[in-house]
Amino acid sequence: MLSGIGAIEQPASSDVSASAETTLIVAARAGDVRAFEQLYKLHVGRVLGICLRMTHRRDLAEDCTQLTFVRAWRNLGAFEGRSAFSTWLHRIAVNEVLTYTRNHGTRLEAETQGVDDAHLDQESTDQGTAPPGSPDTGEVMDVERALATLPEGSRHVVVLQTIYGYSHEEVAEMLGIAVGTCKAQLHRGRRMLRERLGLGEFEP
Amino acid sequence: MNQRLRDPLDRALGSLPRDVAPQRDLWSQIEADIAASPRPLQDSAGPNNVAEFPSNEPARRSGFQSRWLQLAAGLLLIVGSSFATWVVVQRSVDQKVLQAQQATVQQMQPVLNAMPASFGGNEVLGASYQKARADLSAEFERRVAKLPPVTRARLERDLADLRRAANQVAATLGEHPNDPLLQQLLLSTYQSELALLGSLNNVSTTVVGADL
Repeated sequence: MLSGIGAIEQPASSDVSASAETTLIVAARAGDVRAFEQLYKLHVGRVLGICLRMTHRRDLAEDCTQLTFVRAWRNLGAFEGRSAFSTWLHRIAVNEVLTYTRNHGTRLEAETQGVDDAHLDQESTDQGTAPPGSPDTGEVMDVERALATLPEGSRHVVVLQTIYGYSHEEVAEMLGIAVGTCKAQLHRGRRMLRERLGLGEFEP
Repeated sequence: MNQRLRDPLDRALGSLPRDVAPQRDLWSQIEADIAASPRPLQDSAGPNNVAEFPSNEPARRSGFQSRWLQLAAGLLLIVGSSFATWVVVQRSVDQKVLQAQQATVQQMQPVLNAMPASFGGNEVLGASYQKARADLSAEFERRVAKLPPVTRARLERDLADLRRAANQVAATLGEHPNDPLLQQLLLSTYQSELALLGSLNNVSTTVVGADL
């Protein structure tokens, strides 16, 4: 008997969407390219966001995004649903960025133009629809530029943890570093960001 | 207020959009690359630690690949159809009547929440689920009988499709009881069934006066 009776949220469209995603994954695993295209459409924005913030180069981020989905396709047979599909995909994306960095031997040159362009595109889309109190594009670009100036190690940790919500353990595993290193990089990155954005130390 | 929301740095970082739209068409190149790649099940243990859990029965897997495809394709259609029905039904909800029914809906919540959290290898549905399902089914049948014929037929067809799909997945799961994705698929199917059963609880029969 099923002994583990857990709570789920009220059945809603999100549940149906989760069902649909699972179904798409199963179909893609069986070789259905159209199902995989639907998965691509669901996840490309988040994957590109991660790659862009880790590389700060749009051309490279888009290349890494393509490689991520190609690798995901090739390895779908290994995905058994024990973690969220998005987490699995993001781990591949991080791998692609790190592989590029390793293969090219140098640190990626910080370039914010690609990120700025993304925000300008978003602004033209959002014009007149943004809720009151939303940060304007200029403020968002300031944060992106400050992020781009961080040392690579700290930037990766800040991006994955603070922006994309992964835990210390998950980030450490994704980046192949110790949890302690992850915490130190996060602390360092946040301190530098505060300085660069002119924000004082926060005291709760 | 949440401490993270009060910290100006967290607020600033939280203001960044998480998704970024591509500026060029990325899919066509991906599609070209995967067309030249082996199909997913033939290459299950990938490099760079992306093999989440290496399969220990590759031969058996490739053997029932076509079954997967059939199940997935069928379920995709059914879930899509059920979702469409769900959306149409939800849109017919009269807000005032909905408020008046809130107490009833809240009473049904514990039933809807009594869902299995996970499936083990040889586990079957628990008593709580069976009771929830029976209660919802009875309520569904009572309410659906009052609906116009076309709406009723559509809901009953979706429900029958979902139950047939659940039976097919359950049968396949019986042959491969330790496949987590198949377990998840079955759970999703049961959840879709409960969602469809529960959807009518939010709808006043008085407002669904016309066929959907």
